[in-house]
Amino acid sequence: MLREFCIILLLTVIGVAYSLVSGLSPLPSESPELEAGEIRMADAKALNAIWVDAGGTNEFEERHTPEALLLGEDDWDTGLFELMNIWLIEPHPIIIYCESEGCGKSKRIAERLRESLPDAEIYSLKGGSAAWQD
Amino acid sequence: MAGLTPRIRSMPYLILIGRLVISATFILAALPKIQDPAAFAVSVEGYRMVTANLAMWIALALPWLELVTGFGLLIPQIRRGSALVITLLLAVFIALHASAWARGLDINCGCFNAHESEKTPDYFWLILRNIGLLTACIFVLIRDWQHWVRREDTSTS
Repeated sequence: MLREFCIILLLTVIGVAYSLVSGLSPLPSESPELEAGEIRMADAKALNAIWVDAGGTNEFEERHTPEALLLGEDDWDTGLFELMNIWLIEPHPIIIYCESEGCGKSKRIAERLRESLPDAEIYSLKGGSAAWQD
Repeated sequence: MAGLTPRIRSMPYLILIGRLVISATFILAALPKIQDPAAFAVSVEGYRMVTANLAMWIALALPWLELVTGFGLLIPQIRRGSALVITLLLAVFIALHASAWARGLDINCGCFNAHESEKTPDYFWLILRNIGLLTACIFVLIRDWQHWVRREDTSTS
């Protein structure tokens, strides 16, 4: 029986190797360039989007883009009300950013916002506000 | 089991049909997923049981395992091992579908084609189909096991 399992395993490994070598599949360890719900700065700039800063008030005052709204986790209701006032009048895509690629806040806010505004087109900015400054 | 064994021995054609159906099902399920592992990875991720990276590895290896065991069920040298692997896979699939059903997940099943329609799958039908395949596979497994035991007995006597 062990011999049978070894043959099955060997054939499966050969198949997987074929998929990788032939280019049918990317290496699973390579993270995709864009995760679901993310957008690049170049694409974001091409959209007439509503910009949302996911940072706290202090961070917002330091770095926000001129037309950005603040929608932090601490003051969710006020930020959401302000955002909805704008989005309901002009339903543009909404792009959320935080300070850097790894901050994760923009993705959390985007997730939460998708539940509050299921009809809205919502992205988190790849690279965070650092990408905005580049 | 003692009462079941002679009956299984007496229905070779039904066992053969069962073997062919399971084999064809696994081969046909594997081919589209081998051609597009990235799309299948999205289906695997939809079950919300594994990370994105692990989903990609599963999407890469599982279709090949399905293909190998699908053909293996027809190859005498590896048919017992293939039947056992398929039995385990079907049990896992049933558990996954039941879990997704219980959690109310709106997922793409990823069973035969990674590009299946995105509407909520009919979990009842999926589980029933896999239970049917699992039952057939258990019969095939018992038959192959009996065959192997008889052959061992003959070679030792």
